[in-house]
Amino acid sequence: MRNLLNFIVKYNSLFIFLILEGIAFYLLSTGNNYHNTRIVKGIRGITRGIEERVSNATAYFHLREIGKNLAEENTLLKNRIERLEKKDDHLFFSVIDSVYQQQYIWSSAEVVNNSVNRQKNFFTLNKGKLQGLAVDMAVTSDNSAAGVIIGCSDNYSIVMSLLNIDFRLSSRIKSNGYFGSLSWDGRDVKHAALNEIPQHVSVSIGDTVETSGFSAIFPEGIMVGIISDFEMTGSDFYKIEVLLKADFRKLQFVNVIGNMHKAEQLELEKSYQ
Amino acid sequence: MINSILRYGLIFVLLILLQVLLFNNIQFSGYVNPYVYLMFILVLPIEISPWLLLLTAFFTGLIMDLFTGTPGMHTSATVLAGFVRPWVLRILAPRDGYEANPDPSMQIYGFKWFFIYTLAIVLVHHTALFFLEVFRFADFMRTLLRVLLSSLFSIAFILLLEYIRKGK
Repeated sequence: MRNLLNFIVKYNSLFIFLILEGIAFYLLSTGNNYHNTRIVKGIRGITRGIEERVSNATAYFHLREIGKNLAEENTLLKNRIERLEKKDDHLFFSVIDSVYQQQYIWSSAEVVNNSVNRQKNFFTLNKGKLQGLAVDMAVTSDNSAAGVIIGCSDNYSIVMSLLNIDFRLSSRIKSNGYFGSLSWDGRDVKHAALNEIPQHVSVSIGDTVETSGFSAIFPEGIMVGIISDFEMTGSDFYKIEVLLKADFRKLQFVNVIGNMHKAEQLELEKSYQ
Repeated sequence: MINSILRYGLIFVLLILLQVLLFNNIQFSGYVNPYVYLMFILVLPIEISPWLLLLTAFFTGLIMDLFTGTPGMHTSATVLAGFVRPWVLRILAPRDGYEANPDPSMQIYGFKWFFIYTLAIVLVHHTALFFLEVFRFADFMRTLLRVLLSSLFSIAFILLLEYIRKGK
């Protein structure tokens, strides 16, 4: 304290000078509009620069919270979309067209359970009998064959996946029209085998394989995949490997196709067997 | 003591009146505004204590501000002039010091000494004053020109007044 007082006494003129200049500047800034404006503007310029930096930094630290809010908003919007889409779906599956003799009825569903790593794979849809689905309806994903419904409860359906060794699909090669039976060999999620194509037919890699429509389950012309490999065997038939178009590991939204003429067709066929 | 207070009071009143009534009305192209009231700070006794000098300068500036309607402007410039005056005097000190005569007049210390003394303090004061008036460094050269021209005229008038005061 003594030192401080000594200091002040020693430099008294400096302190008096600073005090008097302080008073003068106070008068200057309060008494003159022009100077007041300039000073306020200058101070604001400095503080704005600082505030900008601070707000940039805090914005970075708030990113997590912002991300969370966005995710919540996203969920909300997704649910809204979901509700709107569900509303559209009602239009689909409640139509029974008796005027135009519509053969196929389309509906959409979402996969709620799926497996690809077993020999007999099934997946589950979130719609059932109450939504118009029935056994033996075809299931397509991204406009390519994915499976057949084998069981329905009120609100859920179970689908035999194409990746099931019991599954048989009547398919044909688009370029020449020869048909055979497509089945899965239980090994590779991406590939299936097309059997019963006679060896005199010319086949080339890259040919499209599509459904034939003979089974009365799938409409004709639904794509299955493309030929990725084939080889002659000792028998009369090729051994053809088909690269499946549907990616069963990420099935989500599927279309369900019902054939309204199926009962009629089967009845007729049965009566002549 | 009383005598000297009266004498400096008279000088003060005369200089303020001269400044307010005459020199504040010189409006020569906006560049020339001589401020001769600063002479009062110049002619105060050399041994005056710094705090008294600063206070005197403060009130001189304050009264000038009252007349010109610019609070703080003349005050801060004049306080600055009062602050630098002891330093200027120390630098300009003659070989045998100031003890012989406490009055910083042209008659005693010579024209050259008084001219440099006036020049230094007037330049400090006018620089502070004019830059405080515009309060920005845009048009720096223009402001500097105003400082130099006004200083020229202020110094001329102060020398003239000093000559009238002591030169006879």
